Amino acid sequence: MAHQTEHTTNHPTFMQYVLIAIVLFAITIVEFVLIWDRAGIVDHLGASKIPLLVGLSAVKFAIVIMYYMHLKFDNRLFGTVFIAGLALAFIVGIALLSLFVAFEGGQRDFAEANAIPYVEHGEEAGGESPDDPPVAAGPVAIAINAVGDAFAFSSTSLSVNSGDEVTVTFDNPSATNSHNFVVVQNGTKDAVAGDGAAAGPGGNWVPAGDSRVIANTVVVAPGGSEQVIFTAPAPGTYQFVCTFPGHNFAMFGDFIVH
Amino acid sequence: MAHTAEHEYTTTGLNHRKMLMWVFLGSDCLFFAALIATYMVYRGQSLVGPYPVDIINVPVTTISTFVLLMSSFAMVQALASTHANNKNAIVGWLMATAILGAIFIGFQIVEFNTFKNEGLTLGGNLFGATFFTLTGFHGAHVTLGIIWLVIMAIVGAKGRLGPDTALDVELLGLYWHFVDIVWIVIFTLLYLIGGFDAGPAALSGG
Repeated sequence: MAHQTEHTTNHPTFMQYVLIAIVLFAITIVEFVLIWDRAGIVDHLGASKIPLLVGLSAVKFAIVIMYYMHLKFDNRLFGTVFIAGLALAFIVGIALLSLFVAFEGGQRDFAEANAIPYVEHGEEAGGESPDDPPVAAGPVAIAINAVGDAFAFSSTSLSVNSGDEVTVTFDNPSATNSHNFVVVQNGTKDAVAGDGAAAGPGGNWVPAGDSRVIANTVVVAPGGSEQVIFTAPAPGTYQFVCTFPGHNFAMFGDFIVH
Repeated sequence: MAHTAEHEYTTTGLNHRKMLMWVFLGSDCLFFAALIATYMVYRGQSLVGPYPVDIINVPVTTISTFVLLMSSFAMVQALASTHANNKNAIVGWLMATAILGAIFIGFQIVEFNTFKNEGLTLGGNLFGATFFTLTGFHGAHVTLGIIWLVIMAIVGAKGRLGPDTALDVELLGLYWHFVDIVWIVIFTLLYLIGGFDAGPAALSGG
């Protein structure tokens, strides 16, 4: 029972509890006034209101766990157990925010800019060997062809360096089908092909003056061959595609600029 | 149960039930951290309204925050009354805490209803999904606390709460104050800081 008495006297008195309640009340008032537009303070604070508000809340948080939850007077092990959970919770929160928000430009842009297409071994036939050392900015020749009468390019992935003067030679060995070779912004192959359908064969099935189109050959008749010369754009992943109506769903690949 | 407290041997020398409550509260931090972090990750990512700035009412929620803070004060008085073995005060402060908690929940019901009428739903946009999930789980914690408070008030009215059973009230108090500090965090992040968010931060060009 002596222990009980000691326990009780360690706790704050009624007046101290009232004082703590007033402090908590006052901090909340201050927080509200800080962000209340009619008080006019928020306009002067700008972005500094966030650390200010977080700090004030942290003070409230600490007062409640120290005094109302008695951590200040209780065995330290209770506090350790709780703070361990709280610290882990902080780490989880910060890790999630870093993963999804902190990258410059937002998570979707980051993912798009850094995505590396998955290429299975053995699918490189006809394309460049990945062992070839990358050529510095300069003239680069790429040869690609349609596969017989199939709706497929001989390669599903091409890569160049940004700033390269790229010459693409596109052969169409098909006996029946016309094709073209168009480099477009990533993810836009079907949209460009859809819009290109309106341009018709006279417009090479490519929408005129479209910012999504990086480069294109004219339509290559069966048995023909055409070249297109262009400067490789900014590093990133692009697509190449045949925009002949319907072909775009099967004839395409990744055009990677390093 | 109460009479065993005098000679209880544990490896830590600390009461098991109290340790359990602190471990639970530590783990509940993680529960809320996941929901709060999800809200922050999707903050400003909703493509359709309503957006926070359209519907969040900071002055009204400041009042309900006061109410919850005051309920914590009533809770510490309930524990002090238990140590002082004052039956009427125990029941009175416990009921005062429960009523203040109920007023807070009343504010939340009105708020949810208003938001629903203004078009914010759980499935409508990212703001609605993350807002309702987070504040809804907090409201569920408060509701559980109110039920616990009323049960303890009934036990107290039967004269079964006093210095020997103060731990029963103390554990309830720890839970209740925890719910209060979680609200301190939610109020700051969702209302004071996030309550003025408009539409998507940046629409992608594609």
